[in-house]
Amino acid sequence: MDRLKKAAVLTRFVSALRERGSWGGETHIQKAAYFLQELLGVPLGFRFVLYWYGPFSFDLRDELTGLRGDELLTLNPQYPYGSSYKSTERASYVQSLFEKTLDEYRERIEFVADQLGAQGVKSLERLATGYYVTKGLPKAAVEDRALRLTKIKPHVSHEDAVAAIQMVDKMITKSKPLLH
Amino acid sequence: MAKKIHEIRDPIHVFVRLSHDERNVLDSRPFQRLRHIHQLALTYLVYPGATHRRFEHSLGVMELAGRVYDVVTSNATDDVRNEFPDVADDRKREYWRCVLRMAALCHDIGHLPFSHAAEKELLPEGWTHETLTAVLIRSDEMLPIWHDMRIDSEDVVKLALGRKELPDADFTPWETILAEIIVGDAFGVDRMDYLLRDSHHAGVAYGKFDQYRLIDTLRILPRAPSDADDEGEVGFALGVEEGGLQSAEALMLARYFMYSQVYFHPIRRIYDLHLKDFLIEWLGDDGYPTDTERHLMITDTEVTHGMREAEQHAEFPGHLHAYRINRREHFKQIYSRNPSDAEINLEAGEAIFDALCTEFGAEHFRHDRYRQKGGAPDFPVRMRDDRIASSLLVSDILAKVPVVDIDCVFADQSIVTKAERWLTQHRDEAIKPKKEEGASG
Repeated sequence: MDRLKKAAVLTRFVSALRERGSWGGETHIQKAAYFLQELLGVPLGFRFVLYWYGPFSFDLRDELTGLRGDELLTLNPQYPYGSSYKSTERASYVQSLFEKTLDEYRERIEFVADQLGAQGVKSLERLATGYYVTKGLPKAAVEDRALRLTKIKPHVSHEDAVAAIQMVDKMITKSKPLLH
Repeated sequence: MAKKIHEIRDPIHVFVRLSHDERNVLDSRPFQRLRHIHQLALTYLVYPGATHRRFEHSLGVMELAGRVYDVVTSNATDDVRNEFPDVADDRKREYWRCVLRMAALCHDIGHLPFSHAAEKELLPEGWTHETLTAVLIRSDEMLPIWHDMRIDSEDVVKLALGRKELPDADFTPWETILAEIIVGDAFGVDRMDYLLRDSHHAGVAYGKFDQYRLIDTLRILPRAPSDADDEGEVGFALGVEEGGLQSAEALMLARYFMYSQVYFHPIRRIYDLHLKDFLIEWLGDDGYPTDTERHLMITDTEVTHGMREAEQHAEFPGHLHAYRINRREHFKQIYSRNPSDAEINLEAGEAIFDALCTEFGAEHFRHDRYRQKGGAPDFPVRMRDDRIASSLLVSDILAKVPVVDIDCVFADQSIVTKAERWLTQHRDEAIKPKKEEGASG
């Protein structure tokens, strides 16, 4: 996906998350974008690695800074929890140039925003790490994947890990009709 | 009897001190090669004083890494000691200090001649100067040195390259913090040293900040929560005491000013582009060697000699580019994207470049595009009442530091006047963006 198309998709995605109540900080965007790319197959071209809060992409971090430089996103200090990203008027203009691309990915963007927009950072960490584990162990039982999740993130309780894996499984099932 | 501590004079840090073992790393061929790699490539053609090399920069990074390490470990709270038991263990604390300093010393040994120029075009797919750095740290030449120092070469590689460059490596939280000391976005000592050093040698004041106050107030702190769900989150990062916030702001501003005034000076940039073109032709189809022996043999000295030869012989590869550099016949900037053009087309420079190439021929133009990388300057700050807050909440400046974004076009001097005249007449049409095909409306 070329740069401007990617800018149109990402800025639309940030808006969709915020419309669902997301705080819109970098961690929220990182985890949600992980699902958008890896589960929903939107070809953003980011490489994700396991980091403090689960899957994280340094490329996406660079891209968010680039989008600030382009004035497509603004970074707004927001009491009491640091900062959040908002898309700008200029972003709406760029989106208008890529209607076809946005049409193609609209349902997938809305799906991820619906599922994850209202989730907080800790929940997103469990879900994204849960999906990371599921990708590595696609045939493993919920219990086994939950154990793997708690091994990677020892501060996550077993109950929370199981709940996260179950939600990931539901998301996988629900997302299938969108992958055409 | 051999000296236990060696002292090296340095214009930025006054003295850089090394132990006898550390001196063996300094004396190794991979490190000595850095004496012949200019820190700022051909910037000396614009700022004549900027002839400093990666050698002294690397010494400076080692010096600062040691200082930061001493400050953050000696001021570690009980929370930090519990999270990172190595801090409280004298032997392990000393081990990691040594690894950190050596990683800092070696972090640049894989640089190609003239530093960053043309790395992407010259190295095989998947290789970067960081990959070469890792290969050299693990080389047969370096392994006996690490063995004598009783340090693990893989630990040196991890801290020298950091998580971004080693996506498949397992980092412990402690290793992540230590790598941040060298290459971190906010307080990496690599950046601290190059801002201070480049500023000093270029003869500008933009890169200066109060390094002493900043380092003295650096701490390993709990990360500030990202939302209500995140309260009580564990996890640590490098941050500052409230009293160091202004020096942290000065560091971020120094970075912005150095990028906009020195690193992206248009003539410096066009020399980089000419050098890149020269290296591609001069090295030929094989590109730059990833073999360590051959890497160690190629420095700025060999490239400079190659340019001198190529400049004088029209049949030599890279002749035209060498001529442009050595005879100061560099291309001139004819377009730089301004805010009103950006409102119309974010890639206006590329659109102008394409239009000019179509009109006059691609050989007369070069396009330069750079977008700043790294994250927002968001780090934990320990307030005077012991609360931990995000830097972006407690600083009026940090969220407003502009992001560096460069988009410009250069033209051959022989065609500048014609191209500028053409641009005056066709600029609006050239930058008009196109809707993607198949879109409605």
